[in-house]
Amino acid sequence: MSDFVEQCRTEWKRLGVPDSIAEEMQSDLASDIREAEADGVAVEELLGSSASDPRAFAASWATERGIVPMRSGRANRRRGRIALIAFTGVAATALIVAALLLATGEPKVGLAPSRATPPPHFLGATASFVPPPSRVQASAAAPIEWMLLCLAIVALGFSAWLWSRWDRPRVPTAPAQ
Amino acid sequence: MQCMANEGRHSQMLRGVLDICLLAVLDAGPAYGYEMTKRLRERGLASVGEGSIYPLLGRLERDGLVDTYRAASNGGPPRKYYRPSSAGRLALAVGVSEWRAARDAIDAVLAPVKIEVVS
Repeated sequence: MSDFVEQCRTEWKRLGVPDSIAEEMQSDLASDIREAEADGVAVEELLGSSASDPRAFAASWATERGIVPMRSGRANRRRGRIALIAFTGVAATALIVAALLLATGEPKVGLAPSRATPPPHFLGATASFVPPPSRVQASAAAPIEWMLLCLAIVALGFSAWLWSRWDRPRVPTAPAQ
Repeated sequence: MQCMANEGRHSQMLRGVLDICLLAVLDAGPAYGYEMTKRLRERGLASVGEGSIYPLLGRLERDGLVDTYRAASNGGPPRKYYRPSSAGRLALAVGVSEWRAARDAIDAVLAPVKIEVVS
C-alpha cells in the first residue's frame, strides 16, 4: 500500500497542499493502513472504493478539509479529461485525414495543360494535329501529408501516454468495491 | 445487476448519515481514523460504501464539529485523534433526531409491504 500513499502525496503536492499538512495526512494514512493490514482487514473496508483511485481520494480529502479550493478536486479532473478527449479526437482525425489523402489523394506529380497554349498549327499543306505543349506540375501536397501523418502519430502517442497515466490502476491488488 | 443496484442504494443511504455515525462513535471517546473504522464495524457497519471516512473527517474538522489533537497510539506512532466539539454534539443530537423521524416515516410507508427476498 505504500504506492497508494505515495500517489496521494504526489497529488497533494500537485494541488499545492502545504508540506506540513501533507506529511501529517500521509503519516496518519500510512499508519492506519499498516494497522488495518496487520489486523487482516481489507483495504477496501478502510478506504471504500477509494482504494482503487488514490488521486481522487487524496483530492477529496484535501478539498473536504478546506485546504484546496473545491474546484481543484473533481472539477479539475473533469476538465482535464474533457481536454484530453478533445486532444485525442483532433489527433485521431488528423491521422485519418492524412492516411486518406495519402491513400486516395490526387497524384503528387501530374501533367497539366499550359494556359499559354498556342492554337494548334498546321505544318505545311497537310493538316496534322500537334498536341499542345504541357508542363510538369509538381504538387507540394505530398510532404505536407507525410508531415501531417507524422505529427498525428506523435500526437496520438502522446495522447496514449497521457491516458495511461490517467487511467492506470493505482492499486493493482485492490478491486473497486 | 440487481446486486449492483442494491450496493448503490446502500452507498446512497450511508452517504447521508455517515457523518452522524462518525460523531456517534466519537461520542464514545476520542479515536483516530482506523480506530473509528473498527468501532463502526463492531456496531455492525462493516463497509463505508463508496467513500471513505477520511474526507468526511476532513469536512467535520473544517466545519468545527470535531476537535483534533495528536497523541501516541497504543505502541504505535503518534496519531491524530478526533473528538466531537460542542457544535459536533449538537449536530449529533439533531442528526439522530432527524434520522429517527425519517426512519419512522419510511417504516410507515414500507410496513404494509409483505414481499421478502428469498435467499
